[in-house]
Amino acid sequence: MSAFRILVVDDEEAMRESLAAWLEKAGHDVAMASGGERALEILGEQPCDLALVDIKMPGMDGHELLRHIKEDHPRVMVVMITAYGSIESAVECMKQGANDYLLKPFDPEHLMLLIEKLAKQKEVMDEYHVMQARLAEWDAGGFEDLLGQSLPMKKVFRQIEEVAQADTPVLINGETGTGKELVARAVHVRSLRTYGPFIPVNCGAVPEHLLESELFGHERGAFTGAVKTRLGRLEMANQGTLFLDEVGEIGLAMQVNLLRALEEKRFLRLGGQREVESDFRLICATHRDLDRLVEEGRIRSDFYYRINVITIRVPPLRERPDDVPLLAHHFLQGFVREMGRRVDGIAPAALRLLQGYDWPGNVRELKNVIERAVVVNRSGTIEEDDLTFLRAGEPGRTGIESLEEVEADHIRKTLEACGWNISRAARLLGIHRGTLTRRMKKHGLDKGS
Amino acid sequence: MVRTPDQKGPAAPGDADPSAFLDPRSRHVQLLPLGDVDGVAVSVAAANLQAVLGLPADVRPPAGDPDYALIPARRQYDALPILKAMEEGVPPGTLRLGIMNGDLCLPIFSYVLGEAQVNGRAAVISLFRLQQGEDGRPSPPGRVYERLAKVALHEVAHVLGLTHCREEGCLMRFSLGVEHIDELVMRFCPECELRILRARRGPP
Repeated sequence: MSAFRILVVDDEEAMRESLAAWLEKAGHDVAMASGGERALEILGEQPCDLALVDIKMPGMDGHELLRHIKEDHPRVMVVMITAYGSIESAVECMKQGANDYLLKPFDPEHLMLLIEKLAKQKEVMDEYHVMQARLAEWDAGGFEDLLGQSLPMKKVFRQIEEVAQADTPVLINGETGTGKELVARAVHVRSLRTYGPFIPVNCGAVPEHLLESELFGHERGAFTGAVKTRLGRLEMANQGTLFLDEVGEIGLAMQVNLLRALEEKRFLRLGGQREVESDFRLICATHRDLDRLVEEGRIRSDFYYRINVITIRVPPLRERPDDVPLLAHHFLQGFVREMGRRVDGIAPAALRLLQGYDWPGNVRELKNVIERAVVVNRSGTIEEDDLTFLRAGEPGRTGIESLEEVEADHIRKTLEACGWNISRAARLLGIHRGTLTRRMKKHGLDKGS
Repeated sequence: MVRTPDQKGPAAPGDADPSAFLDPRSRHVQLLPLGDVDGVAVSVAAANLQAVLGLPADVRPPAGDPDYALIPARRQYDALPILKAMEEGVPPGTLRLGIMNGDLCLPIFSYVLGEAQVNGRAAVISLFRLQQGEDGRPSPPGRVYERLAKVALHEVAHVLGLTHCREEGCLMRFSLGVEHIDELVMRFCPECELRILRARRGPP
């Protein structure tokens, strides 16, 4: 049985403190409240597993507090404490949803056995919630979006099956929109940790100064604004999988902290005194060339070797045009169902147009295109005319481009990949910074264009 | 000033400490009989604290019964005021263990075999429930002394900062009654032993 976080609510100081001291000796993390109002404040600030609530209290009594807890914090288990002679009141609380009751003074072993029983119940409930989340995930079709009959995708599926049960770190490499997170979820679902949580973190979307708290969590008061204790993603991933997307965006200092946590599977929350243990499988993803980032000194080599035990490369959609019809029909069915529209299919000419496009945004872009086509369609079949915006956008392979257009396009993509850092883009393109600036001006390229 | 058996109450601040010759950097235990406690029982507890925990232990002259902690309606003694009184005047690095005959309890619990301040200075244990067997008949003295030693080790380890342990057979495992204590051997699990080793060095 792991330690509980327990809230003791009693207006009598001696009762409250003696119970809290005993629970701390049993290894639990204990908070105390002298009344119902304060108890609700604490529950709002810090998550608790169990509340031990005295029924008879001035102000908000145990009955009222129980109602509030069941409404606002339904996953908190509640045990009512009452004196001999008021057992009817305790029974009434059980009808209101209390998990159990104790008549005070009670034997210490009764409390210990009760907590053990509740810990087992909590384990079952936690498993149930994980399964519910999993079913919702399947219902949402997120996993099913990982489709393909092409050779490159068959290779990806084979790799997923091979690595899933190995419990070693996996690095997924692929362009934006290729479905790296779906691959990570597929590995998780097929792994021995399938009943544990899948916790994704987009490292590129979290500002660097907030990433530490996001990953490791923090204790209340650890910094200005830390008004309550918050679990980090590493801790949430216990018994499951931690998915670090855009891992190439993590700064060097954070790589050191993360490396230690990944190796020892234990760490301190920000402002914490006690180490927290978390047993998780690590899956990382990136659209960047990590070998190059290591050479440039932007990724520590020890961190790189830690996360890159097995690599899965997800091919861009342009390398598997044969999969486009399959994916397009799959997305079409989903949107038709979701929007309640009557669109029966995709005309052959429209399919050819889709297959001829080079999909810089990959599967995500295809999904958006189909969604837009379903919205604008009036005929019941997606025609070329429903995809005019596609031809008006990226030229791709749908038409012959001039050298000027190719150059402008290539420079823009390079700049985007470098976050519009001109010096870095110039290095990548192998031209002088001044030359790049002149060509950007010539093609009218700037960050806002 | 050394207290004599007829003096009542726990040691007061400023009293001369007969164990002052002990190395002040390491921790040691004072055993304080509260009332007319069987001297053999106290000696057995002291010997085991010394042998198992490696803590030097000295037996202080008895203090009086802790009448200030009596709850007349329950005919029991509240352990919390006893601990509060006992921690007064404890020299740095010293832990104090009270041993009494009366039945101990906490306001919320119907009884306790002992009570301790985790990471504190004082603990108290009672012989009351250790003297009875499962069948309600008095247990032989040897069995009672053994139980007392185990409870003393458990509570003093709490004072050293240890919490309950999940390891089967470890003295820090929570005991479900006297018969469960009898099943334990006089040892801590390796992890608790390590914690004790670190804790008994005392604060740096």
